[in-house]
Amino acid sequence: MLLAQVEQVQVPDLDFPAIAPILIVLGAACVSVLFEAFLPRSARWAAQFGLSVLTLVGAGAALLAYLGDAPATGVTTLAGALAVDKPALFLWATLLILGLGSVFLMADRRVEPGGAFAADAAIRPGTIQDRAQATTVMQTEVFPLALFSLGGMMVFTASNDLLTMFIALEVLSLPLYLMCGLARRRRLISQEAAVKYFLLGAFASAFFLYGLALLYGYAGSIKLSAIAAAAGGSDRSDTLLFAGIGLLVVGLLFKAAVGPFHTWSPDVYQGAPTPVTAFMGACTKVAAFGGILRVFSVAFEATSWEWRGVLWGVAIVSMLIGAILGLTQTDIKRMVAYSSVAHAGFLLIGSIALTDEGRAATLFYLLTYGFTTLSVFAVISLVRDANGEATQISSWAGLAKRSPVVAGIFTVLLLALAGIPFTSGFVGKFVVFSAALADGMAPLVVIALLASAVAAFFYLRIIVLMYMREPEEDGPTVSLPGVPTTITIALGVAVTILLGVFPSAVLDWSVVGAFVS
Amino acid sequence: MNTALLLAQTGGEVTTGEAVAFWILGPLALAGGLGMLFSRNAVHSALWLVLTMLGLGVMYMVQQAPFLGFVQIIVYTGAIMMLFLFVLMMVGRDASDSVVEVLRGQRFAAAVFGLGFGVLMVTALARALTDVPARGLVEANTTNGGNVGNIGRAVFTDYVFPFELTSALLITAALGAMVLAFVDRRHTERKTQREMVEMRLRGEHDRPSPLPGPGVFATANSVATPALLPDGSVAPESVSELIEATSRKTLESDVAEVAGTVPGPDAHALTGKEGDR
Amino acid sequence: MSGAFLLPALLFLPLVGGVVVALLRNNDKLAKLAALGFSLGELVLAVFAWIAFDANGARLQLTSSVEWIPQFGVNFALGVDGIALVMIALIAFLVPIVIGASWEEKLPEGRTLGGFLSLILVMETFMVGVFAATDVFLFYVFFEAMLIPAYFLIGRFGGPRRTYAAMKFFLYSLLGGLIMLASVIGVYVTSADVLGKGTFEWAKLAEISKDLSPTAQFWLFLGFFVAFAIKAPLVPLHTWLPDSAAEAPVGVGVLLVGVLDKVGTFGFLRYGLSLFPEASKQLAPLVLVLAVIGILYGAFLAFGQSDMKRFVAFTSIAHFGFIALGIFAFSSQSISGSVLYMVNHGISTGMLFLVVGMVMARGGSRQFADYGGMAKLTPVLGGLFLVAGLSSLALPGTNSFVSEFLVLVGSFPNEPVFTILASVGMVLAALYVLRAYQQIMQGPVRGTALVGLAGGPGSATDPESDTFKSKIADLSRRELIVLAPLVALIIGLGVYPKPVLDVITPSVTATMTEAGVTDPVVAQEGDK
Repeated sequence: MLLAQVEQVQVPDLDFPAIAPILIVLGAACVSVLFEAFLPRSARWAAQFGLSVLTLVGAGAALLAYLGDAPATGVTTLAGALAVDKPALFLWATLLILGLGSVFLMADRRVEPGGAFAADAAIRPGTIQDRAQATTVMQTEVFPLALFSLGGMMVFTASNDLLTMFIALEVLSLPLYLMCGLARRRRLISQEAAVKYFLLGAFASAFFLYGLALLYGYAGSIKLSAIAAAAGGSDRSDTLLFAGIGLLVVGLLFKAAVGPFHTWSPDVYQGAPTPVTAFMGACTKVAAFGGILRVFSVAFEATSWEWRGVLWGVAIVSMLIGAILGLTQTDIKRMVAYSSVAHAGFLLIGSIALTDEGRAATLFYLLTYGFTTLSVFAVISLVRDANGEATQISSWAGLAKRSPVVAGIFTVLLLALAGIPFTSGFVGKFVVFSAALADGMAPLVVIALLASAVAAFFYLRIIVLMYMREPEEDGPTVSLPGVPTTITIALGVAVTILLGVFPSAVLDWSVVGAFVS
Repeated sequence: MNTALLLAQTGGEVTTGEAVAFWILGPLALAGGLGMLFSRNAVHSALWLVLTMLGLGVMYMVQQAPFLGFVQIIVYTGAIMMLFLFVLMMVGRDASDSVVEVLRGQRFAAAVFGLGFGVLMVTALARALTDVPARGLVEANTTNGGNVGNIGRAVFTDYVFPFELTSALLITAALGAMVLAFVDRRHTERKTQREMVEMRLRGEHDRPSPLPGPGVFATANSVATPALLPDGSVAPESVSELIEATSRKTLESDVAEVAGTVPGPDAHALTGKEGDR
Repeated sequence: MSGAFLLPALLFLPLVGGVVVALLRNNDKLAKLAALGFSLGELVLAVFAWIAFDANGARLQLTSSVEWIPQFGVNFALGVDGIALVMIALIAFLVPIVIGASWEEKLPEGRTLGGFLSLILVMETFMVGVFAATDVFLFYVFFEAMLIPAYFLIGRFGGPRRTYAAMKFFLYSLLGGLIMLASVIGVYVTSADVLGKGTFEWAKLAEISKDLSPTAQFWLFLGFFVAFAIKAPLVPLHTWLPDSAAEAPVGVGVLLVGVLDKVGTFGFLRYGLSLFPEASKQLAPLVLVLAVIGILYGAFLAFGQSDMKRFVAFTSIAHFGFIALGIFAFSSQSISGSVLYMVNHGISTGMLFLVVGMVMARGGSRQFADYGGMAKLTPVLGGLFLVAGLSSLALPGTNSFVSEFLVLVGSFPNEPVFTILASVGMVLAALYVLRAYQQIMQGPVRGTALVGLAGGPGSATDPESDTFKSKIADLSRRELIVLAPLVALIIGLGVYPKPVLDVITPSVTATMTEAGVTDPVVAQEGDK
């Protein structure tokens, strides 16, 4: 009786050109794992690096090809699991190019002889075998991991239901946890960072999942559009809805390192190998805010009155934590981490505007911030002493005298982070704040501007150190970057200045219209 | 076949068979839970938990959710609990939990939260029993090939993408396990015994023979006792360098520990004081 | 001659010069000559701009506009009115003098003169930009960008506490700037409400200024106000100026006090009165109180200073009080007086800074107590010090007299109480200037800076001896050439200010129309 009712299963439609970039990245990640398995150790670095670059360029090409005849409003595909619309495509493009920059940083074997990653991460730190592997060539598993993570990020920004989003969140996070623990130098602190990130990340995932379950209980569906429809007009229990939103948003804010959910970020930024920190700082931020934008605008727009006040508070707390705790840091990577917490607060302001301007502004800000952060970490990886990177801020004294070019580049980047005109950071802040102001968030904008004034102090402190102090006797030197790192730094600085002076073309691209659902 | 039965259940009525099954399985599951809590041996604890899970699995089946029931048995009792047991065996089944309260007020907080959770559960349950109309599983179990068929359909249609995407997760996990746990020893060169003997005799080591062991006399069986050479002088190599080089001061705590004059572990044992090894 | 190219040329010539000089920085001599050449070129361009400007023509002239960020209606729009023109002329006039004065500057170890001059030229670009921008966004951009070269000039080339001073300067200005940014964005957003599409164009914003609600005007003006009040230091926000001016190299101090701070007072006129007329009137009492406090407080502190550069900085705070008083007294005489004051203050305080620098170059100390009777050794320097000082205290016959007189006369009918209080400041000015002169120049030769140089107390201390005189030499020819144009202007504008006033007055009248204020009935035609 039951069998009689079974009919042919309808395979969901698959808009191949639309999701080609994702398929290319994830497929290449699998190929990359096979490379790990079957290629001899000596050939792996070149093969993996080549494959990664090719993949990202190929995915970019597929994206451009699709962009030509993409429907203006976007499509949903795979039974509505993925929504490929203009915002998603913009985010994908951003992720791909920032990912390319990060892969370049990961591939560099000249800054740190042998590469920034341990040759054999399984060897216990501090043992004889560990000392023996100090100068041997790095492990190349980091490339497939980076590709998987990037694929997860791309899915995350385009996922149209909460389940896909959750799995994408895990796909993007798991490789990051691993990559954090692979540093060649200071391995214990690196492994500590990995464990800390993993535990807290798992905790945040649980929050997300719990929120997902409650929202499913509320709406009877995990589709963003269905949740929106349910919230739009029904007499169901609001408790479930708001508890669900709260838990879900905690999970998202954790990934985006928005204060007060930022506690992992300084430790992890500090402990992780610098290329991975760059990858996290740039790409994870883009992905997380991409997801936040989509969830807020598609699923929760109807209830925005209820949650907006809370997120005002979160944004304020984030900006204040970032700006004030950043003042007290003595390690440059931790300082940038706190600065990123402050920036997350600014981004959140743009994200909760829920207007077309707000969305465009946030996307633009993400792009500019990503490039700047990428190059900031690239430069940090260059300044070294006998123990590896010299991350103590005090040891940067007088850098301008030893290497004026690096100091000049870093100054430009810091000014961009501070939001000084003629840098992309200024234009980013401007567009976000004008969108927020147009949406009636004047007090928030004023607080944000005060916070950026405070934050400017610690960027400035570094400029003071570099230019106005005499170098120490045994201070760090700037090591000559390899070609990949040079490309990343040049790209980042060029974008930072170009988008500061001629932002209009990219501003046009960032006006992407609404999400599809 | 049992349409009438199904219809009856939709109305929320409980059949006799179901009641019988419940009254047998319920106490068993509860006993499993209590047994898990109160047994002192970790392995016994785990086995008690298996009982609870099996009971739950059967109850699912009785409640018209055979797929869920089997998943419960296969995944939870079959896979996860077995992993638990593996880990317990690896760690050593004698290892007992630390009962030291590390965080101040931990017990109190645990009690409060536990109570709160209990209250939440009871209210939710009460509400489910009074306010919520039962929907029944008839629709899910009859249309489109039944429960399992529907799940299969959902996995391969609506959720095909998330389902496929989990493969990325699994690959990452496997890769991560390899990266973190596998040490590639092939590339560390091992010398054969013959090569080593030849090297020794060729004089590539300090001495061809092994170092002499420590002397053991009628008066002492300590490794700190040096061996005597045929001429009656002390052979310095016979005592480990470590013994000679370690000053007495650093060993004081060990001496005290052996003598049993130090206090046992306290609540601050885990906070890592200076010099606390 | 339309002259649309003049402002872009004025804007970019120093930037090009800055880059060229930076490239030449390893050759001191070449770098110096190049910098001087570019700054003189700029001066020539400024003269052309002055000629091309028709005082009674359109509100904004020499305009040019290129689309910059069309999404936000931002244009790279330049143009000047009479007020901006005289300020640009002042910049173009002062920069060659500053370069000349820095010709043999003693820099901290490891710094090159080329780097210094290159930053000065870059700063000139941004300063010109601030005055020439007719797009509020562009104005803001230049306003903030100006900080960076100034920051490096103070922080890299300044005195012993330069880092602290530079940091303080930057943070104060940045804080003000960021608060202003909120208002800049606010202006854009409110203009979108009124016009349908937001704009940053100053002229359009001035047109719609009356359509804004008083509340909106108030808050928007407040943002601008804080930034300008920090820049043109009004009293509670002034504390950065003495530190920055004292630690900055002399040339930078001249530009800082002479030009950079005028952005604040200029901003009050261009962006305060014209864009937010109601709010300006509403807040005028506050500004007036702060202005008068500034005049008296600055004068008292100037009187009490032991450090010569801080002394000059505090006299400036008093002068800025006069300027603010004139602007917010809302009469054509007082505002014209204020604008003229902005020019004159640049000239006279610039000169005061330079002569103080020359004194310090000889004695090597910033303390008044280390000097005395210097006029006996260096009569020419003494005389020029006196000229600068007299100009600073607004002695009749010097340039400042005209402007101070106009401010007081113009303010009196509207604000008699404040004006009377302010005139007390004139008396105090005479006191502090003469005290400074007396301390440094008059009496017997004394002070460790002078006597110590001549061989220490007890040996060869006879001031009449030739050895003594050779150590403390009088002005060199270069220094004379640097100071001569300033002296000429001090006296020239004191006797015949008409050319400048003619350029200023129509713009002042237009500003008053935009602000919706009229002269009080008793006011007379006030040219002299």
